[in-house]
Amino acid sequence: MKNIIKLLFFTTGLFFLSSCEDVIQIKLDEGAKLYVIDAFVNDLRTNQTIRVVSSDNYFSNREAPPVSNAQVILKDLTANVQYNFTYTSNGNYVFPLTNADTIARINHQYELNVTIDGYVYSSLSLQKRTAVLDSISAVYNDGTAGFGPPSPFYNCFLWARDKADDNPDYYWIKTSRNDTLFDKPGDLNTAIDGTGGVVTNAGVDTLDFTPPAIFLGFQNYRSGDKCKVEIHSISRETNNFLFQAVAQIQNGGLFATTPENVRTNISTPEGAKTKAVGWFNMATVVSKIKIIP
Amino acid sequence: MKLRLLLFLSFFVLKTFSQDKFSISGYVKDTKNGESLIGATVYKLGSNVGASANEYGFFSLTLPKGEHIIAVSLIGYKTFTFSVNLDKNIIKNYELAEEGKQLDEVIITGEAEDKNIKSTEMGTTKLDIKQINKIPALFGEVDVVRAIQMLPGVTTVGEGASGFNVRGGNIDQNLILLDEAPVYSSSHLFGFFSVFNPDAVKDVKLIKGGIPSQYGGRVSSILDVRMKEGNSKKLSVNGGIGLPVFSRLSIEGPIAKDKASFIIAGRRSYIDALVKPFVKSTNPIKNAVFYFYDLTAKVNWRINDKNTVFASGYLGRDAFGAPGFKFNWGNTTGTLRWNHIFNNKLFMNTTAIYSNYDYLLDFKQESNNQQFNWTSQIINYSLKNDFSFYANSKNTIRFGAQALFYDFLPYNATGKFENTTIKFKADKRYGIEYSAYMGNEHKIRPRLTMEYGLRVSVYNYIGKGTAYTFGDTLSNEELPLKSSKKYENGQVMKAYVNPEPRLSVNYVINSFSSIKASYNRMAQYLQLISNTAASTPLDVYTLATNNLKPLLADQGSVGYFRNFKDNMFETSVEVYYKYLQNQLDYIDNANLFINPTVENQLVQGLGRAYGAEFYVKKNKGKLTGWISYTLSKTERLVNGISNDKWFFSRYDRTHCLNTVLTYELTKRWSVSTNFVLLSGTPATFPNSKISIQNLNIPYNTTGTRNNYRIPAYHRLDLGATYNFKKNETRKFKQNIVISVYNAYNRRNAYSVYFRTKQGSTFETEAVRFSVIGSIVPALTYNFNF
Repeated sequence: MKNIIKLLFFTTGLFFLSSCEDVIQIKLDEGAKLYVIDAFVNDLRTNQTIRVVSSDNYFSNREAPPVSNAQVILKDLTANVQYNFTYTSNGNYVFPLTNADTIARINHQYELNVTIDGYVYSSLSLQKRTAVLDSISAVYNDGTAGFGPPSPFYNCFLWARDKADDNPDYYWIKTSRNDTLFDKPGDLNTAIDGTGGVVTNAGVDTLDFTPPAIFLGFQNYRSGDKCKVEIHSISRETNNFLFQAVAQIQNGGLFATTPENVRTNISTPEGAKTKAVGWFNMATVVSKIKIIP
Repeated sequence: MKLRLLLFLSFFVLKTFSQDKFSISGYVKDTKNGESLIGATVYKLGSNVGASANEYGFFSLTLPKGEHIIAVSLIGYKTFTFSVNLDKNIIKNYELAEEGKQLDEVIITGEAEDKNIKSTEMGTTKLDIKQINKIPALFGEVDVVRAIQMLPGVTTVGEGASGFNVRGGNIDQNLILLDEAPVYSSSHLFGFFSVFNPDAVKDVKLIKGGIPSQYGGRVSSILDVRMKEGNSKKLSVNGGIGLPVFSRLSIEGPIAKDKASFIIAGRRSYIDALVKPFVKSTNPIKNAVFYFYDLTAKVNWRINDKNTVFASGYLGRDAFGAPGFKFNWGNTTGTLRWNHIFNNKLFMNTTAIYSNYDYLLDFKQESNNQQFNWTSQIINYSLKNDFSFYANSKNTIRFGAQALFYDFLPYNATGKFENTTIKFKADKRYGIEYSAYMGNEHKIRPRLTMEYGLRVSVYNYIGKGTAYTFGDTLSNEELPLKSSKKYENGQVMKAYVNPEPRLSVNYVINSFSSIKASYNRMAQYLQLISNTAASTPLDVYTLATNNLKPLLADQGSVGYFRNFKDNMFETSVEVYYKYLQNQLDYIDNANLFINPTVENQLVQGLGRAYGAEFYVKKNKGKLTGWISYTLSKTERLVNGISNDKWFFSRYDRTHCLNTVLTYELTKRWSVSTNFVLLSGTPATFPNSKISIQNLNIPYNTTGTRNNYRIPAYHRLDLGATYNFKKNETRKFKQNIVISVYNAYNRRNAYSVYFRTKQGSTFETEAVRFSVIGSIVPALTYNFNF
């Protein structure tokens, strides 16, 4: 839905020829320090990273201050197994994985415990199933419809299918071109069942993925490019969180929404002086790569 | 029960009838074009016994038997005096001729000179269309709503925001009536222009406080716009050609002289047609559609002295589009009215009303057979009956009843992709609002007048539909759905009853000053769902349901009114306090679109607004206009938001200064200026950023909503009007209006938001968004014959 509004306002915005945006200097207060826990773990057989940092002044021009003294433990409550993540650098806590194993399993319930200065910050996540990924198709475009001189390119489309039943499934479609992940706010692409995130709470179960979920990175590709897509299973709450975060970052224009703090699913223990915010999600991932002909 | 109470009250008043008194009644009209003159006063010369003409120009004045000299007057018109020997009731119509041109130019109000002192009205402003015509306007286009925004107590969140805010009320709290039909979207082009065509408008009245009992349904204000009836004497054409935005044309004239007349007025923007020749074929604007139009029409037929019927309608639409994309919205209203004079004391108006607002959004890609479209609609059908009973020279009683049916389609969406079609259609929602009122304008003493009344509104949320019940959760979280129950056609799902007392008191200290006080309670059964900073055409209303209580407002105000220099200057000071209950707000990250259980995304809270309004208006002389200053505060309290403490509302502006001045340089030239200085609106700014998944998310650790203000707003507009020499034989009048909006090119912030600097990973910046970022000049040519 929010994608549509964005497109709409972009289009109508064309006509407000007189409107303008400029960067201004504002003095902002300093906020109390928060711990920020960024825990998106998946079943890919690569190193899994959980990031623990501090919040920073809004205008500070540096990487988030790392928290290096935390103890990060991921518990598989279903299998009763515990994984200890070890600190490497820049706030990253890593569980190294070889090609042989995964720590994330479908339908398992996980608990994340981050201990800092004796206080245990925790969160729960149930790992959901993901969609069936059939293929990526590349469609040739002669480029004459766009701006400027014609320049041929390809659009990539995702062919994927949701699993039919009454439970809504939420997916995060992450696309990269030549190993560069599209991770800007405008690149966020999620799907609810197959509906492309357009309609939430719709009470329908769509099988084939429909637009805009099928647009890979909303980007153009050229001959020889590598387009890679991953479909991550996420919870409904994670889907809402991602949309909320993006809405806060792209809150310009005539129809900006009331700014609000993003929700968190990390709970702060009683008595802790420093509050934690952040997000924990366990994902099942399917992936495909296409080299553009 | 309520009916019985009304009847009882009627008899109580009827008892005060006196047999040795007679009345003189009729319509007051303009000699030139036969338009009824709203607010004309008819009084016994040398006394303060008088009556004023109602919104249809009807009056009734009761006097003792005997010889009287009666005057009929209205500012801008020659007073008509006649003597009458009153030994029976007289029904007669009176026509007033406009004053000479010279005076006409400098008069800016259509009321008796000291009406502001003598009437019980407070918080009420009547704007004459001649006066609105002189205010320098954006793109040179005369605009009713933008003129209203220059009045004390009225603000807007900025250019590009639809609607207006009155005394701390949200935009959905204004009842906007066009010939009694409610108008849901008062704006074209996202608030830049109002839907009212100035050529078809006769009278505009804004009531902010002391709202009389005949009005109800919105809690903050009434904007009562009356359309012209159409010239009943001769055919007349009005028009204007504006650069760069749009043109107008209206035709009015008699169908049968003095019996029936019509007016039809249209406008269309043509900025799209103007731009296209100048852009390259590859520019997306080449294939873009962006225009709006409106058509206003009215006919009236005076069947006989006792019966007149009117039919009026409005049709307007805004359309935007590009290849594969369509977005349009608009209002349609229709009103049928019948004025009937039962006798010299009892006047009745019966109105049937239809109002429709809808929008359509459509995306289409032919190449791969994809489509998504989305519509939403709100329809009103209403029947109402209003009576004016001129009981005697001391009591004027108004009573009536209304039934208003709401028919809502929150959304109907279809998505198509190749062979798959997905449909989302919300159940329609229905409501019916019944109301009955009675009010008496009672001249208790020569100096003391009271207008007291009671309105009772009964609202039923009715089937066919589904009533949802939600469970409890933490505040600011989505409520879990517990159960739902289906209801059949017409079955009452939830009922609300609200008595709404109204009271206004005026104590006239002397011929040039008075003190007034008022109290009113208002109930509102629908609210706009919008968590954007400005209202958008996509916003939908929601009815009061089993989960959402009706919005209630109590407002008290006190004012001191004083005129100087023989009514040359009008001044007033008013203070008000308003308390609102069940105002809508939203949980964080609310999902408001295409959601069948949208009620669990909404929360209701309290509101309070208070302030002082200072107003100085100069009515006569070469220099006319007004200066208004408002000091006010508007706050909300909502469980789960802003740490459960009072926070500033989005449209709070501490200081508001508006200056509107017109100066007649010569017989041909007049110049005008506006100056606006407003405190910046509150906004929530972050004090931290948090980094998750490479997103730099602004975060406010205090949790206080609207903790900052965007920079103050100020703007100067200039205008000049040149009236061409009149061609006496052809009666062709023409003028040119040159206007400059935002004359010193201020970039007023509409909002400030925070983002990651382009190309940077961590660096963040604050961005000011200005809707009008330049000087906007315009030229308009107007003609009339």
